[in-house]
Amino acid sequence: MTATTITRARRLIRRPDPGGNGGRDGNALIGHSKATPYIFSLPAILLVAAILGFPVIYGTWQSFFRAPSLGAPVEFVGFENYLDMFSGTEFWHALNRTAVFVFGSLILGTVLGLVFSFALFRVVGRLRFLRAVTVAPYIISNVAAAVMFRLLFNSQFGAVNQVIEFFGLDGLGWLSDPGLAMFVVIVTQVWTDLPLTILVLLGGLMTIDKSYLDAALVDGATGWTRARSLTIPLLTPQLVISTVWLSYSTLTGLGVVLAMTGGGPLLATQTLAMEMYTVAFRALEFNQALAIATFILILNAVLTLAYVGVARRYEYEQ
Amino acid sequence: MTDAQRPGGVPLAAETAAAAEAVTGPTREEKRPAGGRLRRGLRQFLLAIPLIALVVWTVAPFMVTTSVSFKEKGDVFSEPGLIPRDPTLDAYREVLSSESFTSSFVNSVVVGVGTTLLTLAIGVPAAYAFARFRFRGRHLLLLFTLLPRLVPSLGIMVPIYRLAVATGQLDKRTTLIIVYTGMLLPLAVWLMVGFFQQIPRDIEEAANVDGATLWTRLRYIVVPLAAPAMITIGVLAFREAWNEFTLVLVLTSTPGKRTLPFELYLMQGIEGLANFPAEAAFTLLTVLPFVLVYTRVERYVVAGLVSGSGK
Repeated sequence: MTATTITRARRLIRRPDPGGNGGRDGNALIGHSKATPYIFSLPAILLVAAILGFPVIYGTWQSFFRAPSLGAPVEFVGFENYLDMFSGTEFWHALNRTAVFVFGSLILGTVLGLVFSFALFRVVGRLRFLRAVTVAPYIISNVAAAVMFRLLFNSQFGAVNQVIEFFGLDGLGWLSDPGLAMFVVIVTQVWTDLPLTILVLLGGLMTIDKSYLDAALVDGATGWTRARSLTIPLLTPQLVISTVWLSYSTLTGLGVVLAMTGGGPLLATQTLAMEMYTVAFRALEFNQALAIATFILILNAVLTLAYVGVARRYEYEQ
Repeated sequence: MTDAQRPGGVPLAAETAAAAEAVTGPTREEKRPAGGRLRRGLRQFLLAIPLIALVVWTVAPFMVTTSVSFKEKGDVFSEPGLIPRDPTLDAYREVLSSESFTSSFVNSVVVGVGTTLLTLAIGVPAAYAFARFRFRGRHLLLLFTLLPRLVPSLGIMVPIYRLAVATGQLDKRTTLIIVYTGMLLPLAVWLMVGFFQQIPRDIEEAANVDGATLWTRLRYIVVPLAAPAMITIGVLAFREAWNEFTLVLVLTSTPGKRTLPFELYLMQGIEGLANFPAEAAFTLLTVLPFVLVYTRVERYVVAGLVSGSGK
C-alpha cells in the first residue's frame, strides 16, 4: 500500500496528469484518455450484442408473429404459435424423446464421469498421460464423433456387433431399431461431453480434504461406503456444475442427433432441438420454430434452477 | 501416418498395453497369502478395470475409424477385423483429391485462423479495459458482455439465418468468422479479465513511472505476461471454428463455401451405398490437424476446458 502511494507521488511529481484523468478517479495509470476504456471494450460489447443478445431477443419477439402464407409478411398473433405447438402431437413426442435423451445422457454421463474420475484420481506416475487421453473427444467435432460411432455400431461390420457375435449372440440393428438408436445417440453424446465432466469431478476430488477420508478410514468405512456417504456428497458442487452442463449440452444439442440419425428411425430420436430444426429448415415455418426455440431456452433455465435447488436441499439434509 | 492420426500423436495401442500391464502387472505376483499384500493387489486390480474401460471408451472409436479408413470399399463388409488384411491408401487418395475436401479444408483453415485472430484482437483489449480501468458503467457493460454466454447456438440459429438472408451475408467466410467471434467473446473476456487482474498493478505502475505509455505497456508488459491465457483462448477459438456445425449448416449452402464438418455431414448420405473407407478417411483428416496441434497445447486445452465449465 505504501509502495503504491510512493509510486503515485513520484509519478505526480514527474508527470502531472498528462492523460487527462490520471490520479483523479483513483486510476494510477497514465497514458490514456477518458475514452480509452470505452474504445477498448466497445467492439466486444457490440459484437456480443449483435451475435447473441439481439438474435435471442428478436427471436423471442418474432415467436409472437406469423406469416398467413409462405412468404407473406408476418402479422402479430399473440400466443398462437405456442398454442399450436402445445396442441400438436409432434411437440409432445419430441418432448418425450428429449426427456429420454437428456436424462439418459445425465445418468450415463454422471456414472461414467464418477467411475473414470475416481480411477484417474488414484493414478500416479507413468500413467498420468491417461488424463491427456481422456480429453481427446473434446477436440472432435460432433459430426466426426457421429461418423465414428456409426462405424462402431454398424449392424453389419461394427465392432460392437462383432463382440456380441463373438459370444455367440445375434448382432443388433443398433441404428435401425427405434429403441436402440436412442441408446446409441446417448452414448455418442456422452462421449463428446465426458471430458468436461471428468475434469470437473477430478478437480473436485483434488480439493477434498484428505483428513475427512482418513477419518472415515479409521472408522472402518471402506470402498463403496466411503464413496457413497462421504466423497460423493463432498463432490456436490462439482456434480451440480457437470449436471447443469450436460443437461444444457444435450437439451440444446443438435449436431450429434442430426449427423447420426437425423431424428429417425421412425422419429425415435426426434428431440426438441431436431423438431425446431425440422420446422424451421424443412417446413420453413420460422416463426413456429422460434416458439420451440424459446420453449427450449425457458426449459433450460427451469431445469438449471431445479438442479441447483435439489442440490441445496440435499446439502441441508446432510 | 498411423501414429500421427491417433490422439496425442503417440501409439495408443502400445500405450493401452503398457497401461494394462503397468496396472495389472503387480497383481500377478500377489499369490502369497500375506493379507495386506493380497488386499493391495486386489485393490490395484479393481483400479485397473475402470482405467482399461476408460482407455477403451476413449480410443475405440478412433481405432475402428482408422481401421476402416485403410480398407478397400468391399473389404469393409467381408473383412470386418480390426487390422486390415491388405492396407490401402485409396480412401485417403480419394478424399484428398476431391473438391469437397480441399475447398472445405481451405475454408476451415481461413475461418479458424480468422476467428482466432479476431477473438484475440477484440477480446484482449476489452478484457484489459474491464480489468484495469475504472470507468463509468463498467459493471453493467461487463455484465452485458458475459451474460450472453448462456445463449446456445440453437437459440440463435433461426434469427441469425434470417438476419444473414436479409443482409445478403450467406455463404461468406467473413460471416462465419464474425458469428463465431461473437459467440466466443463472452468466454474469452471472462478468462482474460481474470488473468489480467492477477498481473500485479505495480508492474505497470513502475513502467508508468519510467514514462511508458499505454501502448508501450501493452506491447512490452501486458501481452507478454498474458501469453498463456491468450494461447488458451486462441486454442478454444480455433477449436470452436474448426468443429462448429449447427450454424455453418444454415449460414452456407453452396459447394465450395462450406467447412469440414458440414462436408463430412453431407458425405454420409450422398451415395446409395455409403463409402465407409472414404468417410473414415475424411473424418480422420478432419481430426488430424487439431490432434497435431493438440499434443503441443494440451495443457492450454485442459485449462480452457475447465474454465469453460461454469457455463
